[in-house]
Amino acid sequence: MAIKTYAMAIKDVLAEEMRRDKNVFVMGEDIAEQGGIFGCTRGLLAEFGPERVRNTPISENAFVGTGVGAACAGLRPVVELMYMDFAYLAMDQLLNQAAKIRYMFGGKAKVPLVIRGQQGIGRGNAGQHSQSVESLFMHIPGMKVACPSTPADAAGLLRTAIRDDNPVMFFEHKALYATKGEVPDDTEFMVPFGKANIVKAGTDVTIVCSLLYVNRTMEAVGELESEGISCEVIDPRTLVPLDMDTIVASVKKTGRLVTVHEAHRTMGFGTEIAASVTEQAFSYLDAPPERLGAKMCTLPFNLGLENAVVPQKDEIKAAVKRTLYR
Amino acid sequence: MATKVIMPKQGLQMTEGTIISWLVKEGGKAVKDEPLFEMETDKLTITMDAPESGTLLKIVRGEGETVPITETIAIVGEPGEDISKLLDAAPHQEKAQQPVVQEMAAEVKTPPAERTAGGRVFISPRAKALAQEKSVDYAGIAGSGTDGMIVEKDVRACLKSGAKATPLAKKVAAINDVALEDVKGTGAHQKIVRADILGAMTARKKDARGETLVPFAGMRKVIAGRMVESLHTAAQTTHQISVDMTEAGQIREAYKKAGKKVSYNDIIAHVVCRALRDYPMMNAELAEEGIRIKDYVNLGIAVALDNGLIVPVINDADLMSVEEIGMVTKELAEKAKAGKLKPDEYKGGTFTISNLGMFGLDSFVAIINRPESGILAVGKITQTPVATDSNEVVIRPMMVLTLTYDHRVVDGAPAAQFLARVKQYLEQPYLLF
Repeated sequence: MAIKTYAMAIKDVLAEEMRRDKNVFVMGEDIAEQGGIFGCTRGLLAEFGPERVRNTPISENAFVGTGVGAACAGLRPVVELMYMDFAYLAMDQLLNQAAKIRYMFGGKAKVPLVIRGQQGIGRGNAGQHSQSVESLFMHIPGMKVACPSTPADAAGLLRTAIRDDNPVMFFEHKALYATKGEVPDDTEFMVPFGKANIVKAGTDVTIVCSLLYVNRTMEAVGELESEGISCEVIDPRTLVPLDMDTIVASVKKTGRLVTVHEAHRTMGFGTEIAASVTEQAFSYLDAPPERLGAKMCTLPFNLGLENAVVPQKDEIKAAVKRTLYR
Repeated sequence: MATKVIMPKQGLQMTEGTIISWLVKEGGKAVKDEPLFEMETDKLTITMDAPESGTLLKIVRGEGETVPITETIAIVGEPGEDISKLLDAAPHQEKAQQPVVQEMAAEVKTPPAERTAGGRVFISPRAKALAQEKSVDYAGIAGSGTDGMIVEKDVRACLKSGAKATPLAKKVAAINDVALEDVKGTGAHQKIVRADILGAMTARKKDARGETLVPFAGMRKVIAGRMVESLHTAAQTTHQISVDMTEAGQIREAYKKAGKKVSYNDIIAHVVCRALRDYPMMNAELAEEGIRIKDYVNLGIAVALDNGLIVPVINDADLMSVEEIGMVTKELAEKAKAGKLKPDEYKGGTFTISNLGMFGLDSFVAIINRPESGILAVGKITQTPVATDSNEVVIRPMMVLTLTYDHRVVDGAPAAQFLARVKQYLEQPYLLF
């Protein structure tokens, strides 16, 4: 085990996978000499050279498309988007091409492509650079969606993503890059897709959260526990595939569900989870599921306002108490 | 004239009783001093007789109800009598019939009346499932959820309030630490009665008695495999002989006086080595190419471990003095118990001794430790009356040796001679010199 930051864990796995498999290469804006704006590709150019560490023009549709083509041709591209918000520019390549090629060619073509990059609040980057867009990619079949909340999960999920033969949207969070945690040294360490992590076991209420909101939820949970409310906190880690078994089993135990994410509340992944729980565990529910997400408002530039749009600690506590009628 | 039947006081401590069943139906004939109803107190279940003869005009308190002593529970009289005055005398009783609702009402945020407007009871799916599982009539429970919806905690509170158990059941439950909410009532109106608590306790005991699964792996599996293989392969036959250990005891004493410690085990091991040299067929192995007779003795000594057994081997034991055998045995046994034996310290044996005398066994039969051809089972030394050659009865320290041998390799006579030789050496140790 080594203590690493979230960003360092990502950089190390990229390097390890590039050493392991010469077909793995990285591509994106300012990722070579500059090492990416958050340092996730720093040092790769020196070790692997410009053929495998490729700077691109500001042209997401073009270089994501290049990644799709390279993947079809047998390489394993890891394409960095400087902001995941910019995925909108490449939606046709992502959802009409990458997600569908394997299906449309009857399995004869595969697309081992990873699109990774950061998103979310924390730097006052305003409406076009602070969104949480992971839920968008759950709606179209053919795309896997990973959302690591810790350095270890970032490392284990990224390695699984690179070795997956299907396209993976890999959502990092800008406010998590500096967080530290233990990461196994094993260069074969993988976190399987579709296996939720029970961050904390509890008996009274199930809280499902991801990315930055695992940390934020745990702050609220600390205060709730001191009031005698025992919370079970679950991080699904991948949204596609989604580990509903773990979530449903937890709700059957606790009888209450709260979903918390930074993505907008309307049609956020918490909505999907709440609906599935209602279907699969209706007679175990003691209260309607509570969904927390960003308000339906463009993320503001002002940091104070930015924070006001996303769920607050007190809102999490209040939602938990509503499910317990307290 | 009509007479009230009251909840009788049965014993000094009794404050209330539960009606289990009415043995006479309303309108039926009650006969003085004959059974009228069954009740349960905090101590017992009894049948109560009617205080007067007549018609049971009215049952005031039904089955399953818990009633304070002296309160009216029924009225006996002539058909057509006006009993309204007797009923009026206890107007508060009607209210007390639903203690649960009364108790809970204090906490209700929204009055139940409003909640059930339109006749529908709102209850969360989880609370409903729990109420059904515990046979709770939830219609009477006040809800604390949104708009007075009944939620899980309301049902749990109702279960906890314990209004649905007889006093005796409550008492038995308290003494035996049984949670009432986990017990299903079989009495009238699903009331929990003493028998239910006893049933729950029996179930609990059964749960506690279960079975433990020990993994069949490692040493256990090795032992199992070797024992079955031995019994399947060798033609195992046994001989038994009694040995007078008087002289062996003398040897021990002599060593003790010289400040050296030698055990009976060491003496037996030493003697067995010498006897094996005299009868080498007992020190042989049946191999594919033939019977391999060994002119060296690697003596195995069975050692019991916490989780099995192992047989450390004293190599070239026939070349050792009894003291040496003692030292090596001790060292190997300690290593065995600590799990530190090396493979060459428990392999390559030519004959084995197993001693269970310390557990008080007079004698026992051991299974051959393959590929060896013999194993000697040693019992305890017992002070025994023995008839001497001169027909005198004397007390002697006697010990039984049981030899298991492989009849494929050794026949009965040579095996008997070997065992007799061991006996001879133990009884007349000077023959060793």
